[in-house]
Amino acid sequence: MIWVETIINGVLYGGLYGLLGVGLALIVGVMRVVNLSHGEFIVLSAFIGVSLIGVVPWLHPLALLLPVAAIAFVLGFGLQAVLINRVVTRPDPFAAILLTFGVAVVVRNLMVEVYGADPRHLQAGQLAQASAGIGGLHIGVLPLLILALSVALFTALQLLLTRTRFGRIVRATADHRDVVRLMGVNPGRVYNLVMGLSLALASVAGMLLAIRASFTPYSGVERLLIAFEVVVLGGLGTFWGAMLGGITLGVAELVGLRLDPNAGPLYAHLLFLVGVLLRPSGLFRVRA
Amino acid sequence: MTRDRHAYRAWAIAALGVLALAAAPWVIGEGAQRFLSEAMLMLAMAQMWNLLAGYAGLVSMGQQVFVGLGAYCLFFASISLKVAPFWVLPLAPLLCAAVAAIVALFMFRLREAYFAIGTWVFSEVVSLLVSKTERLGGERGIGLPTARLVDPRWLEPLTFWLSAAIAVASVFGTYALLRSRVGLGLMTVRDNEVAAAGIGVDVWRNRFIAFVVAAAGCGLAGAVNFTATLYVAPGFAFDPNWVVAMMIIVIIGGIGTLEGPILGVIIYFALREALTVVFGLSAGWYLIGLGLVAIAAILFEPDGLWPLVRGRLGGDWLSVRREPPAPLRMTAAAPAAADAATSSPRGLGATRE
Repeated sequence: MIWVETIINGVLYGGLYGLLGVGLALIVGVMRVVNLSHGEFIVLSAFIGVSLIGVVPWLHPLALLLPVAAIAFVLGFGLQAVLINRVVTRPDPFAAILLTFGVAVVVRNLMVEVYGADPRHLQAGQLAQASAGIGGLHIGVLPLLILALSVALFTALQLLLTRTRFGRIVRATADHRDVVRLMGVNPGRVYNLVMGLSLALASVAGMLLAIRASFTPYSGVERLLIAFEVVVLGGLGTFWGAMLGGITLGVAELVGLRLDPNAGPLYAHLLFLVGVLLRPSGLFRVRA
Repeated sequence: MTRDRHAYRAWAIAALGVLALAAAPWVIGEGAQRFLSEAMLMLAMAQMWNLLAGYAGLVSMGQQVFVGLGAYCLFFASISLKVAPFWVLPLAPLLCAAVAAIVALFMFRLREAYFAIGTWVFSEVVSLLVSKTERLGGERGIGLPTARLVDPRWLEPLTFWLSAAIAVASVFGTYALLRSRVGLGLMTVRDNEVAAAGIGVDVWRNRFIAFVVAAAGCGLAGAVNFTATLYVAPGFAFDPNWVVAMMIIVIIGGIGTLEGPILGVIIYFALREALTVVFGLSAGWYLIGLGLVAIAAILFEPDGLWPLVRGRLGGDWLSVRREPPAPLRMTAAAPAAADAATSSPRGLGATRE
């Protein structure tokens, strides 16, 4: 019974991991750039949440998801417009990687200086302890809510990209950056919006993760690696691949922790390395 | 030829530098020796990262794994065999080269950013495994009691000479490697992978050699670095800040040039001393400053600062560029044309495209 519970919890946790990765998958798919500061912005949004709670302590953290996502959207838009668009068209594929790595170093250490290195946590009150008993299993209400929110966001993103005019422009830009210019699309502005969207999704994941586990300014590295593993494992062609990748990693991590309580994310990382070894051909096909 | 004169000048400076390094422990104090050892080991690591990113087209974000493995290898071997740490030093690069050779087999399936983060994940896995191994001290780390087997008066000078030798070897070893067939192959691959494969360059083999060499170099530098601190723990040994430092040094100095990391190390440590000692800022602000400098370099001087300095100084220095074959028909204009060709910063040059 304990194993069924562990696996169900892994699936619920994995939905959150999928959400961590889907923003990165969007960036990789649309502009072929891996944003190495993705993890730092996930942590930064949690810190923004902590700051906002300090201003309005009576508000529930879940009510802050929207304002934090809006701030993250603006940050992403600005990051892309001011910095990344200057290097994204260079033939050298490393310029953008190294630039975002520089951004990660700056953001991480700014968070250390501003917020200190102590572990933080977002309090969700009674909701965090509430659990529902289904057929003898105890499943947390909050993890269920988080998974439902992840699925809703995935569906919304899928619809946005496949059913709207904006989605069509994004997909066209991803396929032929130079051709869409002839149709009157400015790829730079599309990139700005996509990066904003990516970090907004990341910020929701960052807030939810901060409710479930404590974080420090140095947590960004771990978040980035998980997000990246989600992208690579789930590189099946759709965002649902990212969701599946996240769930696989979530189950691997929780089962690993059950077997070996101080393993941390070791088993998720090992699963990723094995995945790379077995399915290298599927790893490069990441499309929006 | 002016090229020869510049080459002589570079060799003369190098010879004087080696003499100065050999004599230094009698001239400067222990604090200065320790500082210079750290800077020279950092130069060696940055040069290894430069070999990967600037010449082999492999951006590794997990290079800290070899720094840590080298250190742990030295500590473990020295304590188990109960011998002075310096005797088992050669084991560190050997272990790192062996690990790199195995890791390359599957990491090379990943390209560009995927390779970068794949190596990073590998580094995290090794770090977590070492943290869980009680024989290696777990998360608390282990000390180096066998350092007492070395005469304490010689510990600091020996570390200094080893660091100096590793730094010099990293620069001239990379120079020799790049002047060889492997180096020519690497640069051909970097400049145009498809064309290189078309003329029969073994892309995989050349990258493999560079990756193994860089791992051995980082392992050696890491082993000596932690011998000096007499203590190693996973949090320090596998710290991603190792690769942050390597990357920032190479980008500021000039990626894809041998002189760039030397210039970068000088700027890196000058900035560190200026910000933390003179202005009393914390390490966080210093890293923020360096990150901003690196971002500015990528945006405005993608080739780093060395090309600007070289423009001032003139000459070829440690260029690994080769002379194009002499033109068949010698006319009055031909020598000038050949001269123009050799002094062009592009072509087969070390300058990154």
